[in-house]
Order: sequence, then C-alpha cells, then structure tokens
Amino acid sequence: MIDQIIMSILATLAFVILFNAPKKEFVFCAFNGCLGWMSYQLFLGYGAGVVMASLWATLILTLAARVLSALRRTPVTIFLIPGIFTLVPGAGIYYASYYLIMNDLAQFTAKGIETFKIAGAMVLGIVFGLALPQSWFNRLGKLTNKNR
Amino acid sequence: MEKNQDSKRILNLAISTGEVLLKNGGEIYRVQETVSRILEAYGITDYNVFVITNGIFATVHEEKEDASSMVRYVTIGDVNLERIADINQLSREICTGVCSIQEAYERLEALKKKKGPANWACILACGMGGASFCYLFGGRLYDSVISFFLGMLLEVFLLTASRHHASKFILNIIGSAIVTAGSLALYMAGTGIWFDKVIIGGIIPLVPGVSLTTAIRDLFGGDYLSGSIRLIDALLTAMCIAIGVGGAIKAFQFITGGGVPL
Repeated sequence: MIDQIIMSILATLAFVILFNAPKKEFVFCAFNGCLGWMSYQLFLGYGAGVVMASLWATLILTLAARVLSALRRTPVTIFLIPGIFTLVPGAGIYYASYYLIMNDLAQFTAKGIETFKIAGAMVLGIVFGLALPQSWFNRLGKLTNKNR
Repeated sequence: MEKNQDSKRILNLAISTGEVLLKNGGEIYRVQETVSRILEAYGITDYNVFVITNGIFATVHEEKEDASSMVRYVTIGDVNLERIADINQLSREICTGVCSIQEAYERLEALKKKKGPANWACILACGMGGASFCYLFGGRLYDSVISFFLGMLLEVFLLTASRHHASKFILNIIGSAIVTAGSLALYMAGTGIWFDKVIIGGIIPLVPGVSLTTAIRDLFGGDYLSGSIRLIDALLTAMCIAIGVGGAIKAFQFITGGGVPL
C-alpha cells in the first residue's frame, strides 16, 4: 500500500519534471497522480474490472485536477497531464504487440481490445469530469481566496 | 496611420502569445480564448480567430481602414507546462489592464527565453519514470533498478536523436526497440529479470498520454479537426511503440533460433 503510494508519486514526478511543470505546483501534481493511481487500485480491489477502474480513476483525477486548478489559479492541464500517465494503458500496448509477434492471436485480440476499452474509458472519465460547469469550481476558488 | 500600427501590433502580440501556448501543449479552446481575450483587452471588438493544431489564423477590423490579418504556422513542440502557466498569468494581467502592449511584448519574450529542464534532469526523470512504472505494473524492486537504467538509456537516445531532427515515428520505433532489446539481452544473460515488466516500465516515457488527453479535450470541445489530428498522432505513436517492441522480440527470436522461451 505505502510502496504503491510512493511509487505512484515518483512516477508522476518523473513526468512533472519532463514536462517542466512550474516548481510551486510539484506537490499538487504529484498528489493528483497518486490520487488517480490509488483510486484505480481501490476500484480494482473492490472487484471492478480494469476498464471500469480506469473510468472511475480518470474521473476522480480530472475532478481533482479541476479543483486544484481553481484553488491554485493555474490551467487544469498542468495537473491533468502528468497525473494521467499512470492510467494510460502502456502495458496493454506492450502485451498486444508481444502476443501478435508470438502469433497468439486470441490473446492479441483480447489485449488489443482491452487497451482500446481502457482508452475509451479514460475518454469518458475526462469528458464527464470536464462537463461539470466551470462556475462551480470558480466559486471554490473565490471561497479560498477570500479566506487568504 | 498611428492607429493602423496599433491594430497590427496588438494582433501580433495576441497571435504570438497564442503561438507559445499552442506550441507547448495548450488545448485549442484555451489558445482561442487567450487570443480573443488579449484582443478585447486592448479594445479590439471586431475580430475573428481560428485555431487548429498547427496553425493560427486571425483578422481584426475587417470592415475598417486599418484591417489586418495574420496566419501563423505552428510546429508542435515538447510539452512545457511552466510556459502554459506563465502565459495564463500574463493574459490574466493583460485582461485586468495592468499591462501595456510594450510591457506585454517584453514579458512574452522573457518567458520564451526561460530554459526548460536540463538534460541530466530529463535523463534522471526518465529513469525514475521507468523504475516506478515498472514497480506499479507488478515488477519487483530488482526489475525497477534495471528499468531505471533502460529508461535513462532511452532518454539519452531521444536527446541525441532530437538534435538531428529525426522523424518522431522513427524515434518511437527505435526507442522502444532499444528498451526491448536491452531487457531481452539482460534476460538472456541469465539475470533472471521479469523482462515484460522491465519493458513496460521502460517504454512508458514514449506512451502518447499527452496526445490522447489533448485529443479528447479538443474533440469534446467541438474542435473536431484538431482533435482528429491529435488522435491520429496518439494512435500512430502507439503503433510505432508496438512495432519497435515487436521487431526487437522477433529479432531476438531469430538470433536465438527460438531456443530461449521468451
């Protein structure tokens, strides 16, 4: 559990550095990536399939990115892009091409379709997450700015 | 005549700002909004802005004497989130009216000159990404260490190759082939690594996460053309990775005559 948290933070930080995110947002980006991966693991643990787990995790990640963007007054992209990498089906791409080369077409089809399903689920997660009206998040941003 | 100069300068400023945003990974919707807002902030209300993934087209004051229009071809570069944040800050200040045109130009130039991460930082980050993803996808710590070095090797290759303006597709194919070949070679040398986990970790920096995310945001923001461009980019990149991985595995099979169970 703790190892997963640490590793997902490190994984997100790698992309935070590669994409040159602003230094003062490092912690928040890392938190968001960790949140995405841990919710993915949580849903998997409760018996959701990889596709549903990806959908929920992406949704949570996107909403968190929007909250952070309102609070930190920075574009949502900055929290969304590094965070989402833990959920992108990199393993799916590998296994699909592996089974294709090994001529195991049944496994290839299964893995290939699963990869597309995960990508589709992520699409839905992001779309639903971005569909909520911006004014709700703006209100959140104003609230905290008043307190400051 | 003075006014003529102004509408041109404002348009140029707005488009240059949009260009930086687009080049560094901003979504179409954001670029369009930023350009429009800057134009409005400097008192231009009669304008048209059209943005696609690799170009910005804009006209101002079409009906008036000082009409001007600009087309800017933008090549898509590496994602640089700090620039996006900086531009966001700049355009917010322009909109509140605290920034003159001259000042805005200077700040734009200054933030363009800000350097990205140093090479060694990129290489370390790439290794760290490889190691941590290897672990997250079920590898052991031992595999992570191997993945760390393969990730660094990959970034060294990418940095060297990018100096020679190699095609992105070739970079992805060779890059994933390097990672695959490296871990298969170590596997055959009898190190006992789980080569599949090591490869998955190693290829993660190539995976088209940015294209996929931006494609979705563009498509569902109603920019179908730009969204499709990004989506095709994501699919082709994924295919190139698959080709690189597959090709390397096939080559190893051929060399060993299929004697080693992969």
